Amino acid sequence: MPVDLDNSSTVSGDASVSSTGNQNLTPKSVGKKKRNLPGMPDPDAEVIALSPKTLMATNRFVCEICNKGFQRDQNLQLHRRGHNLPWKLRQRSTKEVRKKVYVCPVSGCVHHDPSRALGDLTGIKKHFCRKHGEKKWKCEKCSKKYAVQSDWKAHSKICGTKEYKCDCGTLFSRRDSFITHRAFCDALAEESAKNHTQSKKLYPETVTRKNPEIEQKSPAAVESSPSLPPSSPPSVAIAPAPAISVETESVKIISSSVLPIQNSPESQENNNHPEVIIEEASRTIGFNVSSSDLSNDHSNNNGGYAGLFVSSTASPSLYASSTASPSLFAPSSSMEPISLCLSTNPSLFGPTIRDPPHFLTPLPPQPAMSATALLQKAAQMGSTGSGGSLLRGLGIVSTTSSSMELSNHDALSLAPGLGLGLPCSSGGSGSGLKELMMGNSSVFGPKQTTLDFLGLGRAVGNGGNTGGGLSALLTSIGGGGGIDLFGSGEFSGKDIGRSS
Amino acid sequence: MTKTRILNPTRFPSPKPLRGCGDANFMEQLLLHCATAIDSNDAALTHQILWVLNNIAPPDGDSTQRLTSAFLRALLSRAVSKTPTLSSTISFLPQADELHRFSVVELAAFVDLTPWHRFGFIAANAAILTAVEGYSTVHIVDLSLTHCMQIPTLIDAMASRLNKPPPLLKLTVVSSSDHFPPFINISYEELGSKLVNFATTRNITMEFTIVPSTYSDGFSSLLQQLRIYPSSFNEALVVNCHMMLRYIPEEPLTSSSSSLRTVFLKQLRSLNPRIVTLIEEDVDLTSENLVNRLKSAFNYFWIPFDTTDTFMSEQRRWYEAEISWKIENVVAKEGAERVERTETKRRWIERMREAEFGGVRVKEDAVADVKAMLEEHAVGWGMKKEDDDESLVLTWKGHSVVFATVWVPI
Repeated sequence: MPVDLDNSSTVSGDASVSSTGNQNLTPKSVGKKKRNLPGMPDPDAEVIALSPKTLMATNRFVCEICNKGFQRDQNLQLHRRGHNLPWKLRQRSTKEVRKKVYVCPVSGCVHHDPSRALGDLTGIKKHFCRKHGEKKWKCEKCSKKYAVQSDWKAHSKICGTKEYKCDCGTLFSRRDSFITHRAFCDALAEESAKNHTQSKKLYPETVTRKNPEIEQKSPAAVESSPSLPPSSPPSVAIAPAPAISVETESVKIISSSVLPIQNSPESQENNNHPEVIIEEASRTIGFNVSSSDLSNDHSNNNGGYAGLFVSSTASPSLYASSTASPSLFAPSSSMEPISLCLSTNPSLFGPTIRDPPHFLTPLPPQPAMSATALLQKAAQMGSTGSGGSLLRGLGIVSTTSSSMELSNHDALSLAPGLGLGLPCSSGGSGSGLKELMMGNSSVFGPKQTTLDFLGLGRAVGNGGNTGGGLSALLTSIGGGGGIDLFGSGEFSGKDIGRSS
Repeated sequence: MTKTRILNPTRFPSPKPLRGCGDANFMEQLLLHCATAIDSNDAALTHQILWVLNNIAPPDGDSTQRLTSAFLRALLSRAVSKTPTLSSTISFLPQADELHRFSVVELAAFVDLTPWHRFGFIAANAAILTAVEGYSTVHIVDLSLTHCMQIPTLIDAMASRLNKPPPLLKLTVVSSSDHFPPFINISYEELGSKLVNFATTRNITMEFTIVPSTYSDGFSSLLQQLRIYPSSFNEALVVNCHMMLRYIPEEPLTSSSSSLRTVFLKQLRSLNPRIVTLIEEDVDLTSENLVNRLKSAFNYFWIPFDTTDTFMSEQRRWYEAEISWKIENVVAKEGAERVERTETKRRWIERMREAEFGGVRVKEDAVADVKAMLEEHAVGWGMKKEDDDESLVLTWKGHSVVFATVWVPI
């Protein structure tokens, strides 16, 4: 427990959320160990969304005991010895730390999704810096730019240094690749057909790397080998730039201003609603234009791909928003609060995901409802994408606005939906899944497929109307019946995804 | 300030559908429901979900969409095999790319697109060199998926050892018909002659032997031949298993007996090899239940799709076609046709220990070599040494991809 408290306090903005998550997760970890499959994010892992400020921070190795930060793991280890902990206590503290996975705070990023969380802190830091950060490091030889210093270093090592050449003309930067190629290349066969004196020439072609470079590598290897947390190559921390500090200040200002808004959001809704939408729509269009320019700067051309995808997909507005999100962060500091608010959402989802076992609902209708709900969700997205310009504007405006109420709303609305998610959670186990499949077979008789499907549609509606949780949803949203159906789909989709 | 307040209420319903569409979770759930619908013979629901997936996951989209598109084709293949009439109503899916038949030079470049294979090569070669120190003859049985792509660097390393005469190198490989990628466009006789030629240029005497044997019966003829021709005096027997043992069936032969996989390992132990290297992918694709298999596969095969964004288009097409083939094998096939039966590292370690093998840790020199190699690939690649066992694990963005283990008889 002390360790958990220390961990939660290390992240100032997210501390309360993560501590809540810890409390909720602890009692259920035993039951879910069986569902842990290697290679996928650990279901028991704590999903953490660090703020951009934290991701850009330099002292990333934090002491569990006194929360002091260090740039290198070795420094942290030396510091921890200074606490004079008994050996057993040290081991306990190490073991008790739950595995953590990290999501990117930028919405629209593929790693914003908890199912695409990264397994190590260094990885998420590098990802954030590489994809969403400023590119400060420039190669002097070919002018490529990198946001992460180690990327720049790695590139500098191989830039212009094609040290191995085969007789067939192929160049290799790695000796292993050269050796493998040469063994199978026809050029070697031709060589052997000639005189033995020719074979002597094989060795001079394999020019070895310079000794100073080798010496440079060995200290890095020594440094990185004892440090377990960073699984990727060690990186030198980036010095905080004045621009970052400015952004930080603005973030604080805006985030503090969000709190008072909670009291009276609805009072002024009807009065100024249309005007604001129009203004925001025009602004968003401007951002989209600028985002396409910014995306071209990416060395891996992901931005270019995104631009192509927008034209090729059935729902262009979806990709427009996803394209805008990462680039909106870079040009303007006013976009910071989006990241802050969005970063709290996964943490909120984390603890609530574990609740399904507490809600009891009948098994048979759930899988059908889940599938239908997913289809309804897809249909809703389709209509949104194909809708008029006003609908597009609505969608874009909504994605760009930010408020803590979003988090509150999600937390409230997830509670009833999680009950619906129970069968999906139990579906992870073999017996539960068998029950689901039996339920499917009974509901979906081959001979009466169409009729049953229509019946299930009605069942979904009825369930929505009669559910106590959904009636609570009505009071919180104050919307019509259509919203109920859509909301039902939303909950099922989320719960299924999160629980699995 | 005023505008911010006003915007809040209007935001409630709209953002969720926008976020939902690109969600990997959403696509996974649709795939799982589609699998359930197929196996419960619900043609209408199957058709609906396939249609939706086809629209939200174009085969030329981002990495998640390409991944989902591969699973979509696999599910369609399964659906059509169960309900042939379905093929006439579903015609909106494009055909998958054909698997490439590599020349050996192409395959040499292919295995180095990512560290996926080179990681195991470096770890295994280092362990083998250490183990065969002082032997006058080295007999390597290469059970490798990559058609001897590991051997040239081993030959080169043997030749580079100073102050010692190089040993006689005997290489034994298994030839079987083409059942899984990668495929090569030359015979193993030609492959062997190239290797012998290369060894000659390094002043190493090499013998190349091809044993006809198949994975489906646990390489029984190979084991038989190794028993008939036992090791000679001062000869080290090395068995290099690089992503090949997964193809030996893991299902028990009968309810009371062991599986062929267990039988193979125990017979391997009885040969008393000097060292055994085992490199495999760290994922469980053995479940008899389709939904469980699909879920495991979806949460593993996103990794190769995620790594291909920096490839040239032709290499990426070859690479993803191979991954798509594996996905289809896992999802659409059953019984003997389902050959991709990868087990987790934990399970493999249990098997090796049951067969009376003890784990050996990879030396620090090899670890440093692996790290140096990883630095020249995309920065998402990493590596970790496990404290609980002696394995070395290749990671992508922190997630386990491939593990390398070294074993000696106890």
